[in-house]
Amino acid sequence: MRDQKSDVRSRDAGAGAHGRSLWADAWAQLRRRPLVMACFWVIVAYVVMALYGETVYRWARWKDLTPKYQEQNLDEQYMPPGFVRVAQRLDQSEKEAGSPQRSLVQDLIYRPLGTDGLGRDVFLRLVQGTRIAFYVGIITSLIAIPIGVVLGLMAGYFGGRTDDIIVWLYSTFASIPGLLFILAIAMVVGRGLQGVYFGIGLTTWVGLCRLIRGEVIKHKSRAYVLAARALGLGHTRIMFRHILPNVFHIVIVTFTLRFPAAIGTEVFMSFLGIGVVGEPSWGVMISNARLRLWHGVWWEMAFVTLAIFGIVLAFNLLGDALRDALDPRLRTGE
Amino acid sequence: MFRYIVRRILQMIPTVLGVILITFILFNVVGGSPASMTLGKHVSPQALEEFDEQRGFNKPLFAGWWTKTRALADADFRGAINPWRAVEGAEHRPGGDGALVLSPGTNAVLPLAFALRPETKYRLMLEYRQPEGATASVSFPNIGKKSLEFSATADKSRHWKKVELDFQTLEKTTAADVQLEVEEGALELRRVTLRRRMKNPFDSQLLFYFRQLARLDFGMSSSLNQPVSRLLRDGIVPSLMLTVPIFLAELLVAISIALLCAFFRDTLVDRLFVVTSVALMSINYLVWIVAGQYFMGFRWGWFPVWGFASWRYLLLPVFIGTISGLGASVRFYRTIMLDEMYKDYVRTAFAKGVSRYGVLFRHVLKNAMIPIATNIVIAIPFLYTGSLLLESFFGIPGLGYLGVNAINSSDVDVVRAIVLIGSILFVVANLMTDICYAWLDPRVKLG
Repeated sequence: MRDQKSDVRSRDAGAGAHGRSLWADAWAQLRRRPLVMACFWVIVAYVVMALYGETVYRWARWKDLTPKYQEQNLDEQYMPPGFVRVAQRLDQSEKEAGSPQRSLVQDLIYRPLGTDGLGRDVFLRLVQGTRIAFYVGIITSLIAIPIGVVLGLMAGYFGGRTDDIIVWLYSTFASIPGLLFILAIAMVVGRGLQGVYFGIGLTTWVGLCRLIRGEVIKHKSRAYVLAARALGLGHTRIMFRHILPNVFHIVIVTFTLRFPAAIGTEVFMSFLGIGVVGEPSWGVMISNARLRLWHGVWWEMAFVTLAIFGIVLAFNLLGDALRDALDPRLRTGE
Repeated sequence: MFRYIVRRILQMIPTVLGVILITFILFNVVGGSPASMTLGKHVSPQALEEFDEQRGFNKPLFAGWWTKTRALADADFRGAINPWRAVEGAEHRPGGDGALVLSPGTNAVLPLAFALRPETKYRLMLEYRQPEGATASVSFPNIGKKSLEFSATADKSRHWKKVELDFQTLEKTTAADVQLEVEEGALELRRVTLRRRMKNPFDSQLLFYFRQLARLDFGMSSSLNQPVSRLLRDGIVPSLMLTVPIFLAELLVAISIALLCAFFRDTLVDRLFVVTSVALMSINYLVWIVAGQYFMGFRWGWFPVWGFASWRYLLLPVFIGTISGLGASVRFYRTIMLDEMYKDYVRTAFAKGVSRYGVLFRHVLKNAMIPIATNIVIAIPFLYTGSLLLESFFGIPGLGYLGVNAINSSDVDVVRAIVLIGSILFVVANLMTDICYAWLDPRVKLG
């Protein structure tokens, strides 16, 4: 499978030139798989959407305006998506329609995904939902990953009493039923996004900690660590500058796989009324749309579902591919 | 073997203690007293104090002599709002150097919300400032003449000073037991706190919690006004009726599909199943429920939508529960099977001329049973907590439904009990797995 270039390189390797790094190698492997690249671009599209949503949100806050996605318009309650309206117009004879306010193309773009019960644009709200989903994914990772990494490194590296305490801590956390624990933390911390962040962040570090600990124990007796110790380097430096880069692929894979899980959990929590309040997160939208579904208002539900499905699927596939590319052995540790 | 079991049980104790400690930290230390959340905002401090007394929330957290009392909320006069509005003759000055100014000649009664406990020691802490030569005192008129004087010395009159005044109440107490008398010169108060002294410094919330657990008393549900243990007993049967069928169905279907994948590995069939299971995993649980309820319950009318009247009501939630978990379990079991497929004994079996069926069912499945069994045993405790979402959506009165309602109404005792029992069952299940392992594979005991 190697192309000529890398053959040349590997020939050079004997002469002291450096080969491909783990990351470059993984990237090259991923590049070859069209499905994975598609997932990558889907995620990029979501990131763009989230950034746009963030800009709109900041702008409205800065100008002290009611943002577009919160604007109510009671004349336009339950307006079907643009393409449905266009299809309806094409179905009807031209005479009945009278003089339409907008041309067909304009109609297609106006409220492209319809409106909800208060006449708010579903598409704009969906974009805001993306923003919140990214907030949840990133901030919970910023809480969980440092905890998992630091504790895992310490447990694996120092061993002994430290290891005992950390293993005790994570086995305790692991034995508490997950979702209930998250909800309980959110209940105690207080409702709203902050409860979501802490609930998910403080409970999901266990898996990462366990993986890192296992890997560090293997690395501890390797030559490069022994060399670093012989040089008299400090423990912190060995842990973070020498061992961590060698186990960092675990962090990357864990991040990609926990991101969709965090998004799913946020949807849950907001739906149960413990998560986001007052902002159009996906969970809030599903919970609003659920009752209207019974009256035939399908679009809000359908598009939110699709949006969640898209991002979760993309992250799951990408995460799997990354895991295969970076460290196939992690597979069994599911 | 016996010694191994004993050792494992001893190892289990720290984890159980850890779980108890975490629930304690979560609900008592971080959460604090749920009194005002449960009773509402417009309740007298006395009612709140009684609530706390009943649930042990008016004790120190871990240990200590002094504990807060709701008779006098901690007052800091630097805030914008005067916490002592009711006190006459006092002027409030907000701001960074803010204080409550008591002019000379005032006799202010401390705004106690209710009478202090009889025959109990209290400590009143004041942070105050006086001009030179001023005198003021705290007096306890009903208790007796005992009055504590404090006055400022000349050089420190511009500085804030702290004083701690200890006193003991008599048999009879009223809400006007403590008075501030200002004789000469204005008295400025910055902070006032009142603490009650415990008879036993180890009589803490933690001890109260342990005692409660030792009696197997999980407290009272504040929203339903019933003992939690009874709610748990009532909820467990519907929960198990829902989760056990889901568990069994999922196991059966997932293992069958995983075997199929292993049989057809690296062909289109296998890839199709893998992609489908990732897609199934990516559909949010909520969507399964809402869509299933809408289409199968409402649109097509195959199943009843809501309630718990007969076994027919369980069909739809069981179906949804099974299908929503299927993706992840198929992937998991497939990985296990494929791991086995590449081992030496499989190659040997093929080399001997055993057929694919023979290898798959007689060799691989048998060896894959060990990780599968672990997974099964570990999953069992989760059957107990039921399914939070399925139960609340389909109106099945199990523990999941109870849990969601309890979280929504901030019913701490119920949530704590469910979390605690769920975790302890998990620990016990882990123990069972290890013992089974040791029994199957004697090498484990040495490790």
